[in-house]
Amino acid sequence: MSKAKDPMEMVDRYLQAVRFWMPKTQKEGGLIAELGDDLRSQIEDKETELGREPNPEEVAEILKRCGAPMVVASRLGPRRYLIGPTIFPVYEFVLKMVLLWILVPVFIFIVGPATLASTNGDWGKAILITIGNLWSGAFIAAGVITLVFVILERTHAVADITCKWDPSSLPPLEAAERKTSAFQAVCELGFGVFGIVWLLLVPQHPFLILGPAAAFLKGAPLWHTYYLPIVLLCAWNLSRSAITLAKPAWDWYPKLSELISTALTLVLIHFMLKAAGQIPPGGWQPFVEVAENLRNSAHFIKIAAIVNICIVLSLAGMWVGLCIAAPIQLWAFMSFLRKRDYRPRQTATLHVQ
Amino acid sequence: MRNSTQISGEVFENLRLELRRGCLSLAVLAQLRTERYGYTLRKALADDGLEIDEGTLYPLLRRLESQGLLVSQWREEDKRNKRFYRLSPEGSQVLQQLLEEWQRMSDSLGKILQEA
Repeated sequence: MSKAKDPMEMVDRYLQAVRFWMPKTQKEGGLIAELGDDLRSQIEDKETELGREPNPEEVAEILKRCGAPMVVASRLGPRRYLIGPTIFPVYEFVLKMVLLWILVPVFIFIVGPATLASTNGDWGKAILITIGNLWSGAFIAAGVITLVFVILERTHAVADITCKWDPSSLPPLEAAERKTSAFQAVCELGFGVFGIVWLLLVPQHPFLILGPAAAFLKGAPLWHTYYLPIVLLCAWNLSRSAITLAKPAWDWYPKLSELISTALTLVLIHFMLKAAGQIPPGGWQPFVEVAENLRNSAHFIKIAAIVNICIVLSLAGMWVGLCIAAPIQLWAFMSFLRKRDYRPRQTATLHVQ
Repeated sequence: MRNSTQISGEVFENLRLELRRGCLSLAVLAQLRTERYGYTLRKALADDGLEIDEGTLYPLLRRLESQGLLVSQWREEDKRNKRFYRLSPEGSQVLQQLLEEWQRMSDSLGKILQEA
């Protein structure tokens, strides 16, 4: 591109560039002509001041001071919004609701399992396909919501609604956030200690978990494999209660540790269910099995099968429950962090003299 | 990461712009008791210590004109077409009211500052 050497040509090029960035409705309003006259007057003043015609560098300095064409055009034109400040909070709320509370749960609990079934249990492939679909779904949903709000902005529909609000129909005050009390933490710690002692005694005293059935049932290989991770998970939960009690100032800790605990439990249950599913159907006794001396008894084999099915169903139910709890806990933790950031660091004081 | 000096500088700049925004309309209306075109208006304001850039002045003139406070006319001067602005009769009334309000606010602020 050739550089302009004539000062007036520079001004014309500048005005042309400003005009390019201005909205169509503003182009014919005479604003460009006024800006041009202003700039030419500045150049004339400079000429009077210098006693000669300003050189291109001096004219360029005047134009630079005026601002980049795109910036000047935006200042000269009306303030424009795709979605204005009046309805933006509503837009943000709807977007969050649809994406986080509708789309993500639908993909986790409906689309994900359906994809898993269609890929014959290939978790990696199912997760990749689900994330891909979730991404495109979120993109389309966000686009549609944005389009709807752009239309609402253009038609001023929400502005009409917001004019008709009624102060008496505002939602009731939200309850203050519940903190983990010392009593609750002590109870959790007490039950935690009791639980872990009970769990540690189970290998020597199977009666504690199997009851009278300990006479003919015993722990199967899977139980022995996952016994240590279960104990470690209980120990983690015990340490959670102890730290919550010892460090009450760590207001972030209960929520974060709860989230980590949920994630660890989910991973553990996932592996337990997967391992149970890999045992061949002929001798399917994943968690409990019939004692050696009674292996030929069809009655006891049937009882063992019922107990195993109950354990698997309980684990599956727990897995679904934790899948629902995990995003809720994550949301609660994120909200807590956000509120914590906005909380004033220093209490305001009032001096009365 | 921004430090506290930068943040307080930004806060001051935003508050300064807010403070100026209302004053500019008053200053422009007051200057246009005499007919002027854009550039001479800008110069007159700058000479009195109130610098205003092109991107702020011309939209402001348009807004005041659309509100009926100014009237404008394109005329040729020094072989160039210029748009001259002056206060409309309605603009004179509004200016008078604004000046009274300004005086009241200035008095109140003076009292508050004295008390402090």
